[in-house]
Amino acid sequence: MTARDRLVVTIVAAIAIIGAAYLLVVSPERKKASTVSSELNSATVRLTTAESKLAEARQAQARYSAAYASIVTLGKAVPTSEEVPSLIYELAQATHQKKVDFSSIVSGSGAGGSGAAGSSAGATAAASAGFTQMPFTFVFNGTYSDLEKLFATIDHDVVRNASSGELKVNGRLLTVQSAKLGPLPSAGGSSKPSNQLTGTITATAYVLPAAQGLTAGATAQAPAGAPTPASAGGSSTSTAAPAVARVTP
Amino acid sequence: MRAVNLVPEDQRGTVSAAGRSGGGAYAVLAVLGGLALMAFLYGVAAHDISNNKAKAAALSAKASREEAAATQLAPYTSFIAVRESRLQAVSLLVGTRFDWAHSLHELGRVLPKGASISSIDGTVGSSSASASASSKSAGTTATPASASSSVASATPAGTVPTLTLNGCATSQAEVALVLQRLRLMDGVGEVKLASSTKSAGSGSASSPGSCVQNNPAFIANVSFQPLPSPPASTAPSTTLAANAGGANATGGAR
Repeated sequence: MTARDRLVVTIVAAIAIIGAAYLLVVSPERKKASTVSSELNSATVRLTTAESKLAEARQAQARYSAAYASIVTLGKAVPTSEEVPSLIYELAQATHQKKVDFSSIVSGSGAGGSGAAGSSAGATAAASAGFTQMPFTFVFNGTYSDLEKLFATIDHDVVRNASSGELKVNGRLLTVQSAKLGPLPSAGGSSKPSNQLTGTITATAYVLPAAQGLTAGATAQAPAGAPTPASAGGSSTSTAAPAVARVTP
Repeated sequence: MRAVNLVPEDQRGTVSAAGRSGGGAYAVLAVLGGLALMAFLYGVAAHDISNNKAKAAALSAKASREEAAATQLAPYTSFIAVRESRLQAVSLLVGTRFDWAHSLHELGRVLPKGASISSIDGTVGSSSASASASSKSAGTTATPASASSSVASATPAGTVPTLTLNGCATSQAEVALVLQRLRLMDGVGEVKLASSTKSAGSGSASSPGSCVQNNPAFIANVSFQPLPSPPASTAPSTTLAANAGGANATGGAR
């Protein structure tokens, strides 16, 4: 074996020893280190997600009282049940203020019936999801101006400020689908022209889904399934809605 | 002159980089250096593993604690979501209503003195559409805002409000003026005359629905712009304000 051959063999042996050490010892450890590093990354991501969820939950907890008040207030616009008596009361008050005669209310979209309140109004289950529709037909008698003001009053029970987006709830939400205004047949066949009109209005009220309930089982202190805050802070709150509810989430 | 090497042949050393060991010493040094490098790499990797494992364990434990805390507070998040959904739904319904009061006000404002209206028949959408039909169409024409709160409005966005006016005018020219004026109403899309007929008989203004003799009775159809879709991004900005004494626990009778 010449000196040159020995040199080549030595170099090859050295490379083989170092390569074997890398492949058998260092490389698996580096792979393991890479796996642990990715585990660390996923743990970091998990922690970030958990932190944001917790922050969101704490924010929701902080906003709970205001949200509870607003959801109760919304229940006035869209109640849990038909609440026909309150609807009649609201309309009677509105017509009294506007000097309009509240002649009749008929539940259902079909007009023609006469008489008093349809207390057994069948809620139309047309809306399979969301609010249930309850169509009504009302007949009001009054002057053109008074009927116009009555329309405005009905709309202003629930009104949305276009610029601020603020929703103001004063009463039941009604969507008027049709309105017929015509001369009021004069009693006793009087030939004297009258400025009194009769207005037949077909409108729809809305009801919350029966499964939801007004507050979905929540109380003024905590929602259903949540631990009640340990300290009430000295001021006791009832489940009843506050007299004034102003919500800014 | 030729140069002559005076060193004896057996004492002449071959000058090579391998030296006497034939490069074996260099090879050993290289192997040792390589092994040292491998040991260094191994040490770094092992340090990273132990370090990162400890960190990952600590982060996982912290994440578990925070997840548990968030789960405990989840009902609050759900409640806020319900509240947002209802606010959006009510906003959607309010936003797709037709302003009847404003339209009647506008009608009174634009009507010329020489014309009178005997009856008004106004509808939103098809007059024959039942509540269920309109709710179906509401489902299909749902706006982006309604995606999260699937509420069927009785007057869905896109439906066209129409007014059918029956009235009298002092002359046919006055009827033309009425049509022109009706176009000035806020939100009107189209005004069409259905008929304008002079009454030949001996009608009198006293009887409802009839015009004075020789005065034309007209029927006009006024179509408004389709009801607008409420803004898509109402959710975060939607707030609720109830006036004093307004809120009621049951949302029912006052």
